[in-house]
Amino acid sequence: MYEFVLAFVESSVLLAQDGAASGGPAFTAEAAAALSVGLAALAAGYAERGIGSAAIGAIAEDESLFGTGLIMTVLPETLVILALVVVFIVG
Amino acid sequence: MSVEKTGGPSNYEYVSARVRARRAKLFAEEDYRKLIRMGPGEIARYMEETEYEDEINALGSRYDGVDLIEYALNRNLAKHFEDLLDWAEGRLYTLIARYLRKFDAWNVKTALRGIYSGADSETIAEDFTYAGEFDRQFLDRLAEAGSIEDAVELLDGTRYGEPLAAAFEDYEESGVLIPLENAADRTYYEGLIEGATKSGNRATQLYAEFLQAEIDFRNVRNALRIARSGAEIDPEDYFIEGGDLFDASDVAQLSGNVDELVTFVRDSSYGDDLSDALNELERADSLIGFEHALDAALLEYSNHLSHVFPLSVCPVLAYILAKEREVENIRAIARGREAGLTETEIEDELVIL
Repeated sequence: MYEFVLAFVESSVLLAQDGAASGGPAFTAEAAAALSVGLAALAAGYAERGIGSAAIGAIAEDESLFGTGLIMTVLPETLVILALVVVFIVG
Repeated sequence: MSVEKTGGPSNYEYVSARVRARRAKLFAEEDYRKLIRMGPGEIARYMEETEYEDEINALGSRYDGVDLIEYALNRNLAKHFEDLLDWAEGRLYTLIARYLRKFDAWNVKTALRGIYSGADSETIAEDFTYAGEFDRQFLDRLAEAGSIEDAVELLDGTRYGEPLAAAFEDYEESGVLIPLENAADRTYYEGLIEGATKSGNRATQLYAEFLQAEIDFRNVRNALRIARSGAEIDPEDYFIEGGDLFDASDVAQLSGNVDELVTFVRDSSYGDDLSDALNELERADSLIGFEHALDAALLEYSNHLSHVFPLSVCPVLAYILAKEREVENIRAIARGREAGLTETEIEDELVIL
C-alpha cells in the first residue's frame, strides 16, 4: 500500500510544480474533491474486507444469511456516497 | 495488526463467523433433556436428524447401539476440528493447531494402550481421533507397530520422541504404562504454553491466561485425586509445568490433605470462579461434581472471552471446548442408559451451561 501512497505523492508534487509554473493554485478544488472521493472509497474497501470475509463465512454455514450478509457488506459504501456530496458542493 | 510473519495474515473474521454458526448448532439443554429419556437406538435415530447425519449413515451398517453413537461422535468431532485447521491461516492456524495437539497425545496414548493390551492394529485404528497434527498414514503405521518399543521408536523425531524415550526406561523397569502416558500428556501441556505468553496482543495474552487456567485446573484435579485416593504416589511426578497457581513443591505439600488444598485454591486468584466447584466438593464430598464444576467454569470463561474478543482465537477455543463437551455429554447419556442409570444419575454426569 505504501508504494501507492508514495507514487501518489510523487505525481501530486509534479502536478503542484506544473500548477505553480502556470500561475494557478497548485491543487484545484476539483482535484481535492476527487481526492476525497478516492480516499473514502479506499476506506470503504478496507472496511468491507473484514465484513465481507465474515459474511462469506456465515453464508457458507447457512445460506439463508445471504441477504443479511450482502447488506452488512455494502454498508460502508455509504461513506463513498457521502463523499460524493463534496463533488456536488465544489462542482 | 500484530501478525507473525510466517504464513501471512490471519483470517479471524471468516473463521469466527463460521465457528459461531457451528456453535449455534450444538445441542441445547432441551435436546439433552430429550436424549436422557431415550435408549441407545433412539439416540442414534435422533442424531441422524441433526448434524451427525452423515456419520450415523456411514457407520450405521457396521456398528449399532452405543458403539455406533461413540464412533459417530468421534468422527464428527474430527471432521469439525479438521475444518477449523482448513479455514485458519497464519498465526490463527498456529494457535488452533497448538491446542488440537491434544488429540495427538490422545492418539499416542491410545496406540500405546492398544499395543500393551494386545489389541490388533484395526481395533486400535478404530479408536483414533483423526483431529491432531499427525496424519492418517503415520497413525496407521503407529497402530501397526508390533511392540511398545517399536511405537516409541516410530515417534522418535516428533515432539513426543524424547520424553517417551526417557519414560520407556521406567516402563521397562515397572511394566506399567503410566510413565509413558504421563510423558505424552506432559509433552502436550508443556508445548501448549510455550511461546504463548510472549506475544503482546491482549487477546493472545488472554489465550495464554486461559491455557494457564487449564493447566492449573488439571493440576488441582490431579492433586485432589492423589489426596483422596491416599495412594503412595509422588505428586511431583504428575505435576505439569506452565500454570501459575502452584509450583511442584506446593503440590507435593498440599496433596497430602484435601482441606488444605481446598483452602489454598479458595484463596488463590481462581477463588471466585471456582467457589461453586469448591462448595460442591465440600457439600457432596464427591470428586465427580467438583470436576464437572471445573469444566463448567472453564467453559464459561471461554464463552466470556469469545464475547469480549470476537476477532481473536478465543471464539474458536470456546467452540472447541463446547464441541468436546457436547460429545462427552452425549457419550455419557448413551453409556449411562446402556448401564441402566436413572435419569437423575445421568443428569449429574452432564455439564450443561
